[in-house]
Amino acid sequence: MFNLIIRGLATGSIYSLTAVGIVLILSTTNVMNFAQGDTGMFLTYIAFFFIVRGLTPSLALPLVIVAAAILGYLVYKGLISRAKESSYMGMMIITLGLTMIFEGTVSTFFGNIPLLFPPLVPGDPVRFGSVILDRQDILCLVTALVVFVILSFVLYRTKIGIAARSIADDEYAARVLGIPIDRVHSFIWATSFGLAGLAGIMTAPRLSLHPLFMVVVQLKAFTAAVLGGMNSVTGAIWGGLILGVMENLVAYYVPAIKESFSLFLIVAILLFLPNGLFGSREAGRS
Amino acid sequence: MKNRILPLILLILALLIPLAFNARPSIVAYINLAMIYAVSTVGLNLLLGVAGQISLGHAAFMGIGGYTSAILMMRYGVPSVISVLAGGLLAGFFGLVIGFPALRLKGFYLAVATMALGTAVTDVIKRMEVLGGDSGLTNVPSITILGYRFSSEFSKYYLYLAILLLSIFLTNNLLKSKTGMAFRAMRDSEVAAKVFGINVSYYKVLAFVISSFLAGVAGAMYAHSLSYLHPDMFGFGLSIEFLAITIIGGIGTLWGPVLGSALWVIVPRLFGAKLEAMAGVLFGVILILVVLFLPRGLSELIMRLNRLFKTKEGEQI
Repeated sequence: MFNLIIRGLATGSIYSLTAVGIVLILSTTNVMNFAQGDTGMFLTYIAFFFIVRGLTPSLALPLVIVAAAILGYLVYKGLISRAKESSYMGMMIITLGLTMIFEGTVSTFFGNIPLLFPPLVPGDPVRFGSVILDRQDILCLVTALVVFVILSFVLYRTKIGIAARSIADDEYAARVLGIPIDRVHSFIWATSFGLAGLAGIMTAPRLSLHPLFMVVVQLKAFTAAVLGGMNSVTGAIWGGLILGVMENLVAYYVPAIKESFSLFLIVAILLFLPNGLFGSREAGRS
Repeated sequence: MKNRILPLILLILALLIPLAFNARPSIVAYINLAMIYAVSTVGLNLLLGVAGQISLGHAAFMGIGGYTSAILMMRYGVPSVISVLAGGLLAGFFGLVIGFPALRLKGFYLAVATMALGTAVTDVIKRMEVLGGDSGLTNVPSITILGYRFSSEFSKYYLYLAILLLSIFLTNNLLKSKTGMAFRAMRDSEVAAKVFGINVSYYKVLAFVISSFLAGVAGAMYAHSLSYLHPDMFGFGLSIEFLAITIIGGIGTLWGPVLGSALWVIVPRLFGAKLEAMAGVLFGVILILVVLFLPRGLSELIMRLNRLFKTKEGEQI
């Protein structure tokens, strides 16, 4: 039981990482980013490309995250900021176009065969009393924890983070106060893409590498974000962790509804609890 | 007068296409697939382009229609005309069920909810052993009408052409009716529509039902055409494809679904099998370019060309 919860937390931390990226973009730029998962997938393949050619994972990871941030910046500058005048739908469809580009590129160069991503921290599972954990799970938990600490520091203690929160609160007011909206948006997109890359690399060793391997994770991340209230970063973090634990318990006790559980959860929450657990505004029906 | 002659020429051309490709049935098969996609997209276009409701689970309705029709025909020997219609109707019923969340959700929340429901449908089908479960359903028979089996690609071509034209004709009539006007009013401003006494809830659900019905019929065509069904064929990927086709073809336009589907199905085949995945990249790029520069997609391109040739401003569709 306790083991299930801890393992659930490890899975949940991946959902959280992805969900935080989605929520950051949604709350500041007002775009539902359907490419969050596939961005991670694309970047993980890039990491894989380098690791297979002899780069150590500890070196490949920072490299990919920097590449991710640059990619995020370019996507915002080149595509999203140009489509701002069109409706929310235009921007959302651009992200869907991105998923096609990422999936197409990867399956052209690497094929559709599942590949084995090497574990980032090799070694036997570790035993803490009655709890047995893979080293990979520990890495996920620790990474997520570090990321969340850094993120909350940035969002609450630095100028650009506070600016981002003010935009999320009221973009017009922020503009009137002279906050450089464009720069903050670029920063948020770069951060979110960085998180996507991180989540992808954390997920890859647990599953196998495949052009569609992040699609499921992204769906779960949406559930987590909805559970957390869609406009709250803390909500997304808790939503991901709670979802991971719930899912593990459901898979153990009621295996029949394992796959569809989170899907029905999304719909139920959207209908009956549109603000999620941590949302502050009328989020679900805006 | 020109307005009457052009459609007639196009119709005659459409009737002659299979004869031109007599030696290569595979090309006709691709055109057939394009027409199936077009029927389904006509439904999504009505929902998205006319009524302004987004759906990322459109493929699931196609799956429901396909499975219903296939099972009815295989296990119960129901005549194809009835089974295909039943597939459409059951999909329409599920559209009714899914239309209700739409009453309370807007914009991307609706997108996320329909995505979840669409994926849930494929998961549920996978678990149902009656429907072949994860191994899929094989040997789905061809459509048979009055003893004639539509088994060759050429015969299917004419059947599908008829269904496609019928669905476009009916949709077009619907758009000119009170319902169509209510849809458009709802898309442009829900508040204003309410003020004018339009029952927004009713029309939202109706839009979902009609679009799901068309998807269901398309799914049935798909099932009887491929003779093989698997839940994964109707996943999130296909739903996105339909969304992309709608937008590339021209959102809210009459012939957009046909243009988009033709481009979508036929272009990747020109690349050859090796580069087929590259077509995904190409379409992603086209999709983004259309969003940025051509709000009405390929239809707008044609409208612009049309205007270049005409001296005076022509009527829009």
